[in-house]
Amino acid sequence: MRRIFGLVPLFLGITAISFLVVKLTPGKPVILQYALNPKVSLEQIRRLEKLEGLDQPLHIQYLNWLSNILRFNFGYSLADGRPVKEKILERLPITLGINLASLVLIILIAIPLGVKAALKAGGLFDNFTTVILFILFAAPSFWLALLLMQLFCIQLNLLPISGITSLDFEYFTLPQKIIDILRHLFLPVLVSALGGITGLSRYMRANMLEVLNQPYMLACRARGLPERVVIYKHALRNAILPIVTILGLSLPGLLGGSVIFESIFAIPGLGRLFFEAAMMRDINVIMAEVVLVSILTMLGNFLADIAYIYVDPRIRFNSKA
Amino acid sequence: MALLQIKNLNVSFLINGESLPVISGVNLNIGENETLVLAGESGSGKTITSLSITKLLPKNSVVTSGEVHFLGTDLLQLKESELCRVRGAEIAYVFQEPTSFLNPIFTIGNQLMEVIILHQGVDRDAAYSIAVELLRQTKLSSPERLMHSYPHQLSGGMNQRVFLAMSLACRPRLLIADEPTTALDVTVEAEILRLLKEFKDKLGFALLFITHNLSLARKIADRICIMYQGRIVEEAGVNDIFTAPRHPHTQKLLWAYEKIGRL
Amino acid sequence: MIGNKSLFLGAAIIIFFTFMALAAPFLTEYEPALIDGSNLLMPPSARHLLGTDSLGRDLASRIFYGARISLSIGILAVGVATVLGVFFGSLAAFYGGILDSLLMRLVDIMLCFPTFYLILGIAAITQPSVFNIVLIIGLTSWMQPARLIRSEILSLKEREFIQAAKAIGASNMRIILRHLLPNALGPVLVNATLGIGGAIMVESGLSFLGLGVQPPIPSWGNILMESKSTLGVAWWITVFPGLAILITILGFNFLAEGLKKKIG
Repeated sequence: MRRIFGLVPLFLGITAISFLVVKLTPGKPVILQYALNPKVSLEQIRRLEKLEGLDQPLHIQYLNWLSNILRFNFGYSLADGRPVKEKILERLPITLGINLASLVLIILIAIPLGVKAALKAGGLFDNFTTVILFILFAAPSFWLALLLMQLFCIQLNLLPISGITSLDFEYFTLPQKIIDILRHLFLPVLVSALGGITGLSRYMRANMLEVLNQPYMLACRARGLPERVVIYKHALRNAILPIVTILGLSLPGLLGGSVIFESIFAIPGLGRLFFEAAMMRDINVIMAEVVLVSILTMLGNFLADIAYIYVDPRIRFNSKA
Repeated sequence: MALLQIKNLNVSFLINGESLPVISGVNLNIGENETLVLAGESGSGKTITSLSITKLLPKNSVVTSGEVHFLGTDLLQLKESELCRVRGAEIAYVFQEPTSFLNPIFTIGNQLMEVIILHQGVDRDAAYSIAVELLRQTKLSSPERLMHSYPHQLSGGMNQRVFLAMSLACRPRLLIADEPTTALDVTVEAEILRLLKEFKDKLGFALLFITHNLSLARKIADRICIMYQGRIVEEAGVNDIFTAPRHPHTQKLLWAYEKIGRL
Repeated sequence: MIGNKSLFLGAAIIIFFTFMALAAPFLTEYEPALIDGSNLLMPPSARHLLGTDSLGRDLASRIFYGARISLSIGILAVGVATVLGVFFGSLAAFYGGILDSLLMRLVDIMLCFPTFYLILGIAAITQPSVFNIVLIIGLTSWMQPARLIRSEILSLKEREFIQAAKAIGASNMRIILRHLLPNALGPVLVNATLGIGGAIMVESGLSFLGLGVQPPIPSWGNILMESKSTLGVAWWITVFPGLAILITILGFNFLAEGLKKKIG
């Protein structure tokens, strides 16, 4: 419970730094917006600044902004004037959905991969996958995305190239709609998951190897437990324990990756919103997203810590019987 | 008729394609209800010998030749599935550091019941009562609460009792104890040894006790085997060894013990 | 040295690309920005080894010159990050107390930002330039070297030879510089090597999104950005720059593995 209070300074720090970074970088955003418009006089710019509260001293601006944030008021997008909150809310489920699907894919693939490599450590499978993963790790995800697009969308014409739905989506029946969405999301989720798969499977392998060397493995066998039970009940459970932490920690990576592949695949999600805002110097959206994503990361780490405490009996029950 | 007969056992390590012998030409017999102490310094091959009996050898070690006859069957010829029926049920082990030999993420009860269900084929409720009863017999207080505890919550001595309970749950004919008290305090050691003796008298099993502590060996053994550099160098009744040791290494060991007044 | 395969392989790759970057003007007769309207989108041939892009520019030459950008940004950015990190980390570890707690708090906060978002955010607001990119990547990557050096120093601090140095009255600065740092720099070096690969990845990403190095200056990332429009038509524009990034980063990763083995 004490840990929750520890989050508060973290939150303040995040917001402070986000704010400072944006404010301290050169180039007043409002000016950028209207500077090229000769019809806007200096007087009008001053008024606009006053409206946005940009003429106040820095710490007052920060406090204003912070109180707004806490009330979920993120201001208005400088691009189209819509409330930032709205724009974020419409994209949030899409991005979260894709990232969650990614996580699931990562777990489904990386864990068996890592375990199998550990069980036959040094063997052909192990060496082969280690090499492949090492190479994949060094490959830029956007490049892989482009290659996959080239292969699946253009040459094989198996999958659609962009967006999350086809043009005549509204006319589809429900099962057709579901399949359509799945076809659209297949490559993005795959690309998003690749980085996580490399990391997690290497980690699983290392963890599994360490567990297999533990004394209690010998004791389990000595009790006559069949090898299958020894490995999949005893060893695997021990090896999987820290996964919760890893998953929590991979959140920032996934979110960061969203920016790139959402842009490539034209997915209307948070990442793409951020990218567009970045291109247009849409300050309010940028700040809101940075804070949002950082908070999500902070929560992710926090949940990962809590989950681990809950799941590992050595930490959960610390008292002596 | 000996309960366990090890004939000419040779085990080697395989490292980088080379085969390094670990134990050579080991011959050992244990009779029913006998206490045989396997003594020697660290690295003399005692543990490997004990593990080879049920083919529990670590990954890159291999039995190059030899036979292990137990109740008429050569264990080394058995398939893995058949060995699983021997381990834990006919031949059980107790190890040195009990807390690290117990799975830290399962409760004591879970691990106890697992063995009982595996070898005795009873259902969970029956296994629970058997487990509680076993814990009680090892003189552990509030066994019900212990069933829901985790290994790290108990002391070394308590965990060793749990381990004893697990090993004796299925009434094995042979208990192999590899330095079971080395990691424990002297007082706890005495209790565990007393418990061991009680169980042995009550249930009746042969005990292969491994230790490097000769004064301990003297107290509990019927016969003693001394191992040195992978071979058995001396084997005799407990009294004979201490009065008339034959092998130079034994003599050196005894001399060392006498010097520090430990015998 | 050759026995350490990773080290050797990594060094070989890096030397290869460094040579490519340094000798670019001599390796190709084509200027990277030279537009040739009569040779648009030509596949690899004897004249243009790696083909041409949508403006007729020679791809090979763009990749060679791109090596300059990517390698220099990578190395400089990691240099900034490492110097900053070592500075803060060693101060925090050595003096301990409030300074240490404050710094670690700062590290925790900074680590909450998904690096790419932060970098992207800053890149969006500032003018894209090589200098800014180096600065941005450097300022967002100092946390790990800081942590590393801090934990190394903390464990070394109590060792005997440091007590001895204190006993003979060596000043704090001297202790840090002459005794602590040299021993603690090993993991930092490994981390920096890996970091260069990471920085190259980030820079490519930024350039790919249009927020990094701006065309016509070639960066492997922005060549890939241009390849988006010719996807399916000109595979060479997509494949080759990506391969360059992949192999370069692999080189640094191999080098890091090799160094790890050497340091033990």
